[in-house]
Amino acid sequence: MMKLRLNTSVEIKGSLQDVPAPAAVRIPIQKKHKPVVKKKQIVGRGQVIAENPSKGAFNLGFVHASIDGMVEDILPDAILIGPIPAPKEGEEAAVPARPEPCADLDTLSGEELCRKLLELGVDTSRMHATRTLVVNGLNPEPGVIVSEQLLKDAQATLKAGIQLIEKALKPGTIKLVVASGKQITVHGCTPVNASDAYPATIDALVVYAATGAERPDNVDVISVAELYSVGRVAETKLPLTETVVAIGEKVFRVPVGMKVQALLDAVGVPYGTDLKIALGGPMRGEAIFDLSVGVPKGCTAVTLVPEGLYPMVQPNPCINCGECVLVCPARIQPGMLSRFAEFNMFENARSQHVGACLECGMCTFVCPAQRPVMQYLLLAKGQLATQDDMVSTCRLQD
Amino acid sequence: MASQDITKNIFTVTSAPLWHCGKTLQSNMIQTLLALLPVAVMAGYKYGFAAVSVMAWAALTAVITEALVQKLMGQEPSADDFSALVDGLLFAFLLPATAPAWMVVVGSAAMVILGRMVFGGYGGSPLCAPAVGWGILAISWPDFMDLNGMLLNWDLIEPLSELKYFGLDAIAGVTPVSLLLGENLGDLGASQAGLVLVAGLFLMARGIVRWFIPVSFLAGVLVTGLVYNLIDPQAYASPVFHLLSGSTLLAAFFLMPYPSSSPAWRLPMLLFGFFGGAMVIIIRTYGIYPDGACFAVLLANLCTPLFDLIQPKPFGGR
Repeated sequence: MMKLRLNTSVEIKGSLQDVPAPAAVRIPIQKKHKPVVKKKQIVGRGQVIAENPSKGAFNLGFVHASIDGMVEDILPDAILIGPIPAPKEGEEAAVPARPEPCADLDTLSGEELCRKLLELGVDTSRMHATRTLVVNGLNPEPGVIVSEQLLKDAQATLKAGIQLIEKALKPGTIKLVVASGKQITVHGCTPVNASDAYPATIDALVVYAATGAERPDNVDVISVAELYSVGRVAETKLPLTETVVAIGEKVFRVPVGMKVQALLDAVGVPYGTDLKIALGGPMRGEAIFDLSVGVPKGCTAVTLVPEGLYPMVQPNPCINCGECVLVCPARIQPGMLSRFAEFNMFENARSQHVGACLECGMCTFVCPAQRPVMQYLLLAKGQLATQDDMVSTCRLQD
Repeated sequence: MASQDITKNIFTVTSAPLWHCGKTLQSNMIQTLLALLPVAVMAGYKYGFAAVSVMAWAALTAVITEALVQKLMGQEPSADDFSALVDGLLFAFLLPATAPAWMVVVGSAAMVILGRMVFGGYGGSPLCAPAVGWGILAISWPDFMDLNGMLLNWDLIEPLSELKYFGLDAIAGVTPVSLLLGENLGDLGASQAGLVLVAGLFLMARGIVRWFIPVSFLAGVLVTGLVYNLIDPQAYASPVFHLLSGSTLLAAFFLMPYPSSSPAWRLPMLLFGFFGGAMVIIIRTYGIYPDGACFAVLLANLCTPLFDLIQPKPFGGR
């Protein structure tokens, strides 16, 4: 087994590549989204297919079709778009209607502009006006070279993104955090050097590196990939229908919803059931059981890991070795918390600060007992959140 | 879902992360065994068949007892993680080479049952299992555990007993080099100080034993020994003698960092180690046993929950 490097910074050799447009996509939608298309409807690239019914300016973005095609099915978690069927005898071919470039983008500012961005598909739920903005320019995870690739190849787009964000949010200062030893800046940003060793690349820790404060209230953080998507909207004035995905040492611009199988075929990466395949990096990625899943918006990588290369997670008892405590960036005791979760003692987990967990996965990475430590912590966090929801619902009913 | 075409290829899913650092309990224990092998060989070379028989009885009993108790408790057998084997071997290293087989078997079984299984198995115990086993035997059969009395066949001296009963002059001829090379009598494995040190450094280099506890433990021994030595150099042995004699080094690298019985945070680990090191000297100076290392380990283990109360603030906590 090769020695794993947790340093994320690399020498970028290749350049940003495009993939051929797929014939069919499966565009993931969230629970909040309300589909606004019908089955068999012809849609054009960029047409809204699901809306976010809430009114505010800072929320989940709308969902748009990423190809011209026909809506094949609407599922709770995805909208399927397939090729337009050939016209019948004597009928005219259906013409998909693509939206016009949105001219308002130059004139709007402030919250109205944020709302517009949301309607153009940008997720604005983590943005706030007039705060310090930290751009996380570190590669998010080892082997996911998206950030540095974009900093190298897409300076113009990033600049456009920064300008748009300056107009929309009027941030106090903008800081760009890059790996120590790298001399990269983006227009308008103050560069800050920081460690590139995972988990130091996680947003909360990047904010700490940039501002010296742990979880400050007045700082927003945005990754380079997110900034790039804002920049694409600013440049094209069209809705966001693509995401930047790293596969191995190459980085591709992929239409949202492209099926993983089609993507792997298109980029020529061999795959088979002897691999585990995950959307996202090797540390936080979500493993998929089926390659017909569409690449979601904001996905930064497809990771392939040969099965059996690493020790499998097993339901072993904790041996109290303390390895997880030493690597935990949140300074909590993942081993102890995982046992609380294991035995349904969620209140104990709360009092032992499970809420501080940054979900980096280092505890599971180092666990010699091969316990799914982070999974237990996520379980505890989820259970506590559900309990809190139920309590607040009860209070409202009183 | 009949309308969707069912894909033939179903991929294995797993919880994040997909990577693992590769260090498992089993691989750690195999490397520990590898590190202990030269010590065992040296013990066999020095004390002959008697030592081999003690090590074999201790290790065999530990593994079999664990398997039997696990069967009784309805647990999955876990002999393949080799932790029982390592504990049995470490326990044997603390015994005199001529210990009678029945005592080794009783001690090893008691070590596994009282030191491990009553707490749910390896990793659940608040005390270091080999030290528990040694403690039970040292209190129950002090005559059989007395190194000086048990090793009369060899025409050498046991430095710590000499120091205890005949004063500092009796160990004037014991040099640090002779201690390192294991040229004096002592515990079967622990007295091979040089090889134990090498084994400990190997495990530290492999990242299996963290440096915090061994280094602070040895610092505790040195500092406390130095304090006594400065008070009266005529009455108290030099700190280096204490560092290299008896089971100090084995305790530093194998007994103190025993996973479940040591604290987890950095500062508590340092305090825990230093406390244990200081206790070694204090027990050797005032106690009735020549070698206090195992008792010091057990005492430090009892204080682990207190040390663990020293916790850093969680990230972003106020």
